Amino acid sequence: MRSKRTVAVILALVTLLSACAPVATPAPQAAGPTVAPAAQPTQAPQAAKPGEKKITFWHIGSDEGSQKLIQDSVDRFIAANPDVQVEVVPLQNDPFKTKLKVAMGAGDPPCIFPSWSGGPLYEYVKAGQVVDLTEWMNKDNYKNHFVDAAINQATFDSKIWGVPVENTAVALIFYNRQIFDKLGLKPPQTYDELLDIVKKLKDAGIAPFALANKTKWPGSMYYMYLVDRLGGPDVFRKAATRTGGSFEDPVFVEAGKRLQDLVKAGAFAEGYNGLDFDTGQSRMLQYSGKAAMELMGTWNIGVFKGDNIDYYNNNMGFFPFPALKDGKGDPSDVVGTIGDNFYSISTKCKYPQEAFALIKYLIDDQAVAERGKAGLIPPVKGFMTDDPVLKQVISIVENAKNVQLWYDQYLPPDLGEIHKDTSQALFGLTMTPEEAAKQMEAGAKKAFGK
Amino acid sequence: MGDTFMATAVSDRLRKPRRRASQREYTLTIVLFLLPLFALLAVFIIWPIISSFQLSLTKWNGITTAREFIGFANWLQLLRDPVFWKALANNILIVVLSLVFQLPIGMALAVLLDKGGKRLRVFKTIYFFPLLMSSVASGILFKYVYDPTFGLVSSFLRGVGLGSLVRNWLGDPQVVLFSVLAVICWEYIPFYMILFLAAMTGIPEELHEAAVIDGATENQYFWRITLPLLYGTIRVAAALSLIGSLKYFDLIWVMTEGGPTRATELMATYMVKEAFQAFHMGYGSTIASAMFVIIMVIALVVLRITRRKEA
Repeated sequence: MRSKRTVAVILALVTLLSACAPVATPAPQAAGPTVAPAAQPTQAPQAAKPGEKKITFWHIGSDEGSQKLIQDSVDRFIAANPDVQVEVVPLQNDPFKTKLKVAMGAGDPPCIFPSWSGGPLYEYVKAGQVVDLTEWMNKDNYKNHFVDAAINQATFDSKIWGVPVENTAVALIFYNRQIFDKLGLKPPQTYDELLDIVKKLKDAGIAPFALANKTKWPGSMYYMYLVDRLGGPDVFRKAATRTGGSFEDPVFVEAGKRLQDLVKAGAFAEGYNGLDFDTGQSRMLQYSGKAAMELMGTWNIGVFKGDNIDYYNNNMGFFPFPALKDGKGDPSDVVGTIGDNFYSISTKCKYPQEAFALIKYLIDDQAVAERGKAGLIPPVKGFMTDDPVLKQVISIVENAKNVQLWYDQYLPPDLGEIHKDTSQALFGLTMTPEEAAKQMEAGAKKAFGK
Repeated sequence: MGDTFMATAVSDRLRKPRRRASQREYTLTIVLFLLPLFALLAVFIIWPIISSFQLSLTKWNGITTAREFIGFANWLQLLRDPVFWKALANNILIVVLSLVFQLPIGMALAVLLDKGGKRLRVFKTIYFFPLLMSSVASGILFKYVYDPTFGLVSSFLRGVGLGSLVRNWLGDPQVVLFSVLAVICWEYIPFYMILFLAAMTGIPEELHEAAVIDGATENQYFWRITLPLLYGTIRVAAALSLIGSLKYFDLIWVMTEGGPTRATELMATYMVKEAFQAFHMGYGSTIASAMFVIIMVIALVVLRITRRKEA
């Protein structure tokens, strides 16, 4: 019937028209890549009336304590700057990573956003999405407020791109003091002593290490420490900066071998590659006494404190990863981060000056004191605390000659993913150390182009 | 009689001109009512699909404003990518096992509830719960259930003396896909149960009575009468299951994220990892576009093959 056909034709045309209109034109060539996609939302011009400057601030403090810390700083900023409106958006860790990428890609990112410095932040820097903070950091020597290592983590191409704020977190071996006392064990000084402890625990029917490796990064800590203890920090650094090193260096292969030896010795509680750290499955093993140790970042201290105050008071202890006698690495070195979350400003922000002022409030003296009370170690020089637990961590960090940033935060994101995948495969004994090293090196060549 | 003939002829003629004018109105009304729907479809479905195909021709990290055009390089890479083929194989495995388990069990439950009548009405609600729960919540719940040390499954097996059957449910690459599949079945069987039950209530009771009078057993009634009458519904259910399994994401992502070591990698999880974690938005779009093509082709083929002339 004619009317049916007309309807069909009209609707088909409408559909096609809507599809054609916002088509993005691809950039002509790699040489001059600055063609903006047509689908970029244009922001309505804002009249600068007093009280109308708006800053969006995303952070990943998903628990109440962290949210309060940040909100306190924001409130103090607003009190001192009544003409600025701040929209605070707390997000969860992994969803945030996706959300930020999408926002950047759509041209609508928040003014202030967190990152862990390293490779992923550098991706955004290379894409021209981050404001260079060097000038503001140098003003009044503000950057001297912070621990040098922290500033270094956020420095690329001799410029500073983020402000270290949240926490100093290094990986230490947490252990259950009561289990150790009962079995007459002492924190080991050498790796051989650790292997001996592993054997004694197994004989007593207790899993030596709890490990929740579904998300792959917890297991990678063991690998990173083994590499560091065997070859020192230069092996990784040279390979990752492509200055004469390689991920197929025998140190990486040997580290993989030692890791698999540990797995074969039954050092890890059953099911490790399928357990989820975020839902507390490795903690359950420790609270119930079924596992005695866990290699984890020092944010775990705050987690234990909030989760299970009894365990925190009566059982929780920690010691640094032990030394390898036949290794070249310095046993005082640690794997971790000075700063944990760094705050950066996006280039699309309309009020970068105000945004920087707000960031300063996140780490001013009052904020530093509040964070100390909450069990965090802000990356500022001369941080003092009465908490004996935190004092212990601070002394370990201060004694370290080198702090190795987590590989998956240091490397470009796709290489970081290969690192996590290969280390999980090593744990699952489905890949040889040689094969893992080969894949990393191939990935590095592809990621860096050399 | 002559008068009525004249009357209808006249009224016909009076009706004709009105029909021609109102036909335009009629068409316009249809278009206006359907326009909002088509606009939504175009914006949220058709344009993203076209855009994905365009992005698949680029190398883009998702955060710069510039995208580098590289032709079909991504597609060539996809054809040679062992991870993608493993993902596709996993998807096919889910398709097969879903068809083998979800539909027959759903059918069995539907028959049960149909026969049980009023007495079993409460079970309709109870059996429906898994579908009502959020997949994410179910996934997290079953992660605890599958915990090798503390979980329900392992504890139960040890309790009845079958401790040797305990496996690393979510950590052993040999077992993990089946572990997650069990939960997928748990979640979707109610859907097919309700679908088949609804179709069954459309079969007139007289048919059953007549069959009983003619001496048919319940068994014969089910296989020779009910099942053939449900052919259309079964076909729909199979198509839905097929398409759903090929684009499946939820429970795998929550329970294993495609791991360990890609044992449960699906096309959808691989796409998310490439596009949003590895900063390979161009390649991720290639995977998405490939998924679209594969699913479209398979679905159309299956629907064509199972087409039967309506009696």
